[in-house]
Amino acid sequence: MKARGRAVERLADEELMPLIGEQDPAAFEVFYDRHGGVAYSLAYRIVGEQAAAEDVIQEAFISIWRSGGRYDRTRGSVRSWTLGIVRNRAIDLLRSRAGRTPKLGFDDEAVLEQRPSGDFTDEEALRRETAAEVRGALGALPGEQSKVIELAYFGGFSQSEIAAMLEVPLGTVKGRMRLGLEKIRGRLAEGLA
Amino acid sequence: MNEREHEGRRDELAAYLLGALDPGEAAALEQHLAGCEGCRDELDWLRPAALMLPEAVDRVDPPPRLRARIMGEVEADAKGERQRVRHQRRGFALGFLPALGLAALALVVAALAGYTIHDSGSGGGTTTVAAGHPPGVVAKMVRDGDSGTLRLANVHQLPSGEVLQAWVRRGKRIESAKTLFLPNREGRASAVIDHMDGVNTVMVTAEPRGGSDYPTSAPIVTVAIPQ
Repeated sequence: MKARGRAVERLADEELMPLIGEQDPAAFEVFYDRHGGVAYSLAYRIVGEQAAAEDVIQEAFISIWRSGGRYDRTRGSVRSWTLGIVRNRAIDLLRSRAGRTPKLGFDDEAVLEQRPSGDFTDEEALRRETAAEVRGALGALPGEQSKVIELAYFGGFSQSEIAAMLEVPLGTVKGRMRLGLEKIRGRLAEGLA
Repeated sequence: MNEREHEGRRDELAAYLLGALDPGEAAALEQHLAGCEGCRDELDWLRPAALMLPEAVDRVDPPPRLRARIMGEVEADAKGERQRVRHQRRGFALGFLPALGLAALALVVAALAGYTIHDSGSGGGTTTVAAGHPPGVVAKMVRDGDSGTLRLANVHQLPSGEVLQAWVRRGKRIESAKTLFLPNREGRASAVIDHMDGVNTVMVTAEPRGGSDYPTSAPIVTVAIPQ
């Protein structure tokens, strides 16, 4: 069992998904351990409270398990597919609440990680480095651009709702989103160069 | 499509990636993308920026109990599947109702009006179910220490936007068990319920996605817990 456990841990995400489809708990455990942390952080960021974030994650991961890990490669990596599911469920929860208040603000000063960097795998280290680039890029955006991106992605508001909330034309919202995302993308391109 | 309209579509690519388009707007953009290589290329270029947004949030460690709950459901599902296959080979009709060898209390509940509850554990209990609920729902509550695993079978698929929510009653007080779950394609569902001390009834209702503060519909199943 232990030898098999180590073997499963070495599988790439794309190799784990078929095993999850065969209802292999060991494969699912590895999948959760890899992505549960960032998923929970995302859920918590969106819904703003621990109990609700736990519900979102439980619902999201169990639905992945019970749907047989039906991962669609055309939709990106396993991680981004998973985070998309988590985001959708978190937004659904947010929308089910009356009088939701948009949560804004990235804190560039916040410590991303308590563990010394030596504890990370190479892949994890690269991911965190890229995450730091994105945080830096978001922090460098003009407030009006970062605000519309945060309202859309973390608040679940539509472009029309954002335009109404900020009392600006719809075209202005579209433009700010486009400019903001292009700047983030450009910063990522620099980081990868 | 003229240049101005095309530029308008390009302006929507970021909103699309951020999930900020209404379904109709998203569908219209997807239709445009199907025929526009330039916009598809730009979308592909822009996509990593949106995909990295979740990675940039402050890290908050999930509590260990969450992992335990999730893996509890996963293991229960996997055991149920293996036992169902074993019992099917032995010719059992209901393969998900074996003795599990746990120091546990199991109750089998039929969720039809007027059905007698069969006690297959060391305790016993009865329940009644209001008329009009889906026929054939079968439930088993396996108690282990202070928590319990509720396992349902023959649950109909829920409408989009609804989830199953478990509730516990202690005396006259009903509160959410803070467990939302969904049936799988075979109509099976399970949930781990913590803090079972003093609980005399467990109920499951269908609720809007995200759950409710109070039950908004009649239970699809009610399980009496012997004290």
